[in-house]
Amino acid sequence: MVATSSEAPALELRGIVKRFPGVLANDHIDLAVAPGEIRALLGENGAGKTTLMRVLYGLYPPDDGEILLDGKAQRFRSPTDAIHAGIGMVHQHFMLFPSLTVAENVVYGREPQRWGLLDRTAAARQVAELAERYGLQVDPAARVADLPVGSRQRVEILKTLYRDARVLILDEPTAVLTPQERQGLFQILRELASQGKTVIFITHKLQEVMDLADHATVLRGGMVEATVAVADSSPEALCRHMVGRDLLPQLAKVPQATGESLLAVNNLVVLDNTGRRIVDQVSFEVRAGEIVGLAGVAGNGQSELVAAIAGLRSPAAGRILLNQDDVTATSIAARRQAGLAYIPEDRNRVGLALAASVADNLILTGRHNPTLTQRGVLSQAGIERYTTDLVERFDIKIASVREAVDHLSGGNRQKVVTARELAQEPLVLIAEQPTQGVDVGAAESIHHNLLAVRDQGRAVLLSSAESSEILALCDRILVMFEGRIVGELLAEELANDPAAEATIGLLAAGGEV
Amino acid sequence: MSTHRATQDGSSSSQLTQRLRPLAAPLLAVLGALVLGALLMLVTGHDPLAAYRAMFEGALGGRKLANLMATLARATPIVGMGLAITIALRGGYLNLGGEGQLVLGGLTSALVALYLPLPGWLLLPVSLVGGAVAGAAWALLATGLDRVFRVPLLIGTLLLNYPARYLASYLVNHPLRDVASGMSQTHRVPEGVELAYLVPGTRLHVGALMVLALVLVATWVVRRTRVGYELRMTGLNPDFARYGGINTVRLGFGTMAISGSIAGLVGAMEVLGTHHRFIDNALTAPLYAWTGLMAALLAGSSPLGVLAAGLFFAAVHTGGFGMERGAQVPRELSRVLQALMILLIAARSRLLTPTHRDAPAEKASSS
Ligand SMILES: Nc1ncnc2c1ncn2[C@@H]1O[C@H](COP(=O)(O)OP(=O)(O)OP(=O)(O)O)[C@@H](O)[C@H]1O
Ligand SMILES: [Mg+2]
Repeated sequence: MVATSSEAPALELRGIVKRFPGVLANDHIDLAVAPGEIRALLGENGAGKTTLMRVLYGLYPPDDGEILLDGKAQRFRSPTDAIHAGIGMVHQHFMLFPSLTVAENVVYGREPQRWGLLDRTAAARQVAELAERYGLQVDPAARVADLPVGSRQRVEILKTLYRDARVLILDEPTAVLTPQERQGLFQILRELASQGKTVIFITHKLQEVMDLADHATVLRGGMVEATVAVADSSPEALCRHMVGRDLLPQLAKVPQATGESLLAVNNLVVLDNTGRRIVDQVSFEVRAGEIVGLAGVAGNGQSELVAAIAGLRSPAAGRILLNQDDVTATSIAARRQAGLAYIPEDRNRVGLALAASVADNLILTGRHNPTLTQRGVLSQAGIERYTTDLVERFDIKIASVREAVDHLSGGNRQKVVTARELAQEPLVLIAEQPTQGVDVGAAESIHHNLLAVRDQGRAVLLSSAESSEILALCDRILVMFEGRIVGELLAEELANDPAAEATIGLLAAGGEV
Repeated sequence: MSTHRATQDGSSSSQLTQRLRPLAAPLLAVLGALVLGALLMLVTGHDPLAAYRAMFEGALGGRKLANLMATLARATPIVGMGLAITIALRGGYLNLGGEGQLVLGGLTSALVALYLPLPGWLLLPVSLVGGAVAGAAWALLATGLDRVFRVPLLIGTLLLNYPARYLASYLVNHPLRDVASGMSQTHRVPEGVELAYLVPGTRLHVGALMVLALVLVATWVVRRTRVGYELRMTGLNPDFARYGGINTVRLGFGTMAISGSIAGLVGAMEVLGTHHRFIDNALTAPLYAWTGLMAALLAGSSPLGVLAAGLFFAAVHTGGFGMERGAQVPRELSRVLQALMILLIAARSRLLTPTHRDAPAEKASSS
């Protein structure tokens, strides 16, 4: 299965150059991938991975360079051309129609037809079968707009599998998948590779590279830094190629005495659009000096629970106490006033105004702060200082704070959201997938920041698909399944348990421990 | 920070081109329209150069610049209405009720001027404010229908134009009619409640300065204040705004009230500055509200852009008259030419800025 470089490449990129105003995103990139190979593409946020793949997929015309498939030069004027040539892509910035159903999105472009019209029943059946076969849980009839990010990621993957591509590009497909789902996906990819298909896989999780890929190509500053055989490499070596330094040692999580309850949820019920209890009688509390983790497979109510606490969704029953005050019926503004900050999982639709500048996105929640506005007037100098300071502290890679957010790479967008919310010095921070898509270095620094909130005697509710993240940071872990909390685990008890992740996975799948 | 940034050419010249880029499209469009128009005139046997000279002269020249003054006078209500719509559009609210708000504003100001027993010096400001309040009330009614009965704002504002127009029409044809004049109009407003002319002998009145001031204030508010920031963010992504604690409901009512009050004020200014009475159809026939809407859509919801677009539309229009007079281009042809220019500009610019609840696809923009 491991490809050798002597084999004729299924896919070859030669000297690809792509410029954006003020940025050279791809600087003469060469890449050759053999048939049947799984190639990992690595690099820091903003290194140019997504750009390169979008060039390959026909979304951007390259400023220079060539694309060859099986030795034949290609010119893609649009993704349609690329799809015809057998390329499929799972997008980091999802490309789905929010108002259509899952099934309609998946079959889009290759619809099963009946009398020239879309055959809905056939579409739903095919998609259900596909989802079943690949172990990706989705409801084919659900509207994409109503789905949490994790489920949308599965739709994005199914869409590409449905099209039966020869070359599969997956741009951070695992950003919000649970370990179990990830294993399922890897199984599929290995199977496809063994059938001779070519897979290009972008991730920031080095362990995934070790588990899955044959070779890894590391991009840095728009150029190829190295291509290595994974068998001869290690996560540490890959990391050195990416960031030019070693990772810091493990997080130092010192035990911390917990104080009073800063966030409490009592018998909370949230209904979905069809009136079903998507959150069902949930109760828990988060105390001062504590990070509580919310684990589970996406779609089991975590997103809705968090949205209710943040005030974006109104609960059907139950109470929410913030710093011991009942805030169940109060506005979002009042909750923020009382010290709540929120990193939402859906950064592009909720957490950011993509067309607005980085500065405008960074000041949203601090806009009443006297350094930013005085008597209702924006202070240009204050904004400049405040935002450039955040850009530096969180290492957001941009040309200027006036740049529009939709020009930023995925990881840098995430950093904008995380930086803004952490800058509020919240009493209670709700962090939902706070490190999705950020590179290892940045993830590490965000983890330090979350721990700092806890160590300063404030509270964090961390919802993450990444059980390793939850295990590393949390003092207590709540596992959600079908709208209920089905397990509560203490960090101390899990600390040296090698089966900890598996335990969480089992609970999250509705099993018993 | 990142190494490949070193290649960026962040020189001031490239920044300048960046800034000028939005202007390139409309200029190209005007040029294209002029070329197409010239072809059209050649085909129909007119001399394009003479016609364009007449058009230019008709829009900007004239004895003692009389034509320029006419253009500015015409631009006043267009820019005013464009501004009203732009402000709402900034927040993602499509106010198609400018016409009704304009008419009710004009009517109210005339009624205040005619029938409110106030000392003369107070009557003018109260009459203007009355117009603004009437416009705001009409816009708020549509906003309330949206909130309470889920009548989309777009439809509510549009439909409310009809009752406003017919109510005004009824009043000036029946109970409030100046029977002696033999026309469908109210009595003349008392002396002293008129807006002064800026240039004697022209129709350019003080309202032009008020509109200019409003444009400048609006630009400042949108760019430099917290409320303006909240409005911009709501227009760009209402979910983001709500998430950040912006009370989008209150903002919606406030914005629509301001939008409607500007429209009402424009009506009051036309009544007190141009007609000196409320004349049936005088505010609707010249299509100020719709031309203003077009200016707002073209300007991509920037108040300064509306100023430019409004002036341009007014100039095209008065220039069209000039062409008819000076180069014997028939009215129909001059109208076709005007439409061509507007169409080409519209084709070249982004017609609509994102409004609420659209987002055709997640495009390159979700996760
Ligand atoms: N449409 C665009 N306009 C301007 N600049 C862009 C655009 N898209 C990407 N860039 C810039 O190009 C560079 C590479 O971005 P890209 O999205 O390829 O990074 P990436 O390697 O995928 O990062 P991440 O890991 O964060 O997803 C970044 O500096 C980014 O700001
Ligand atoms: Mg990317």
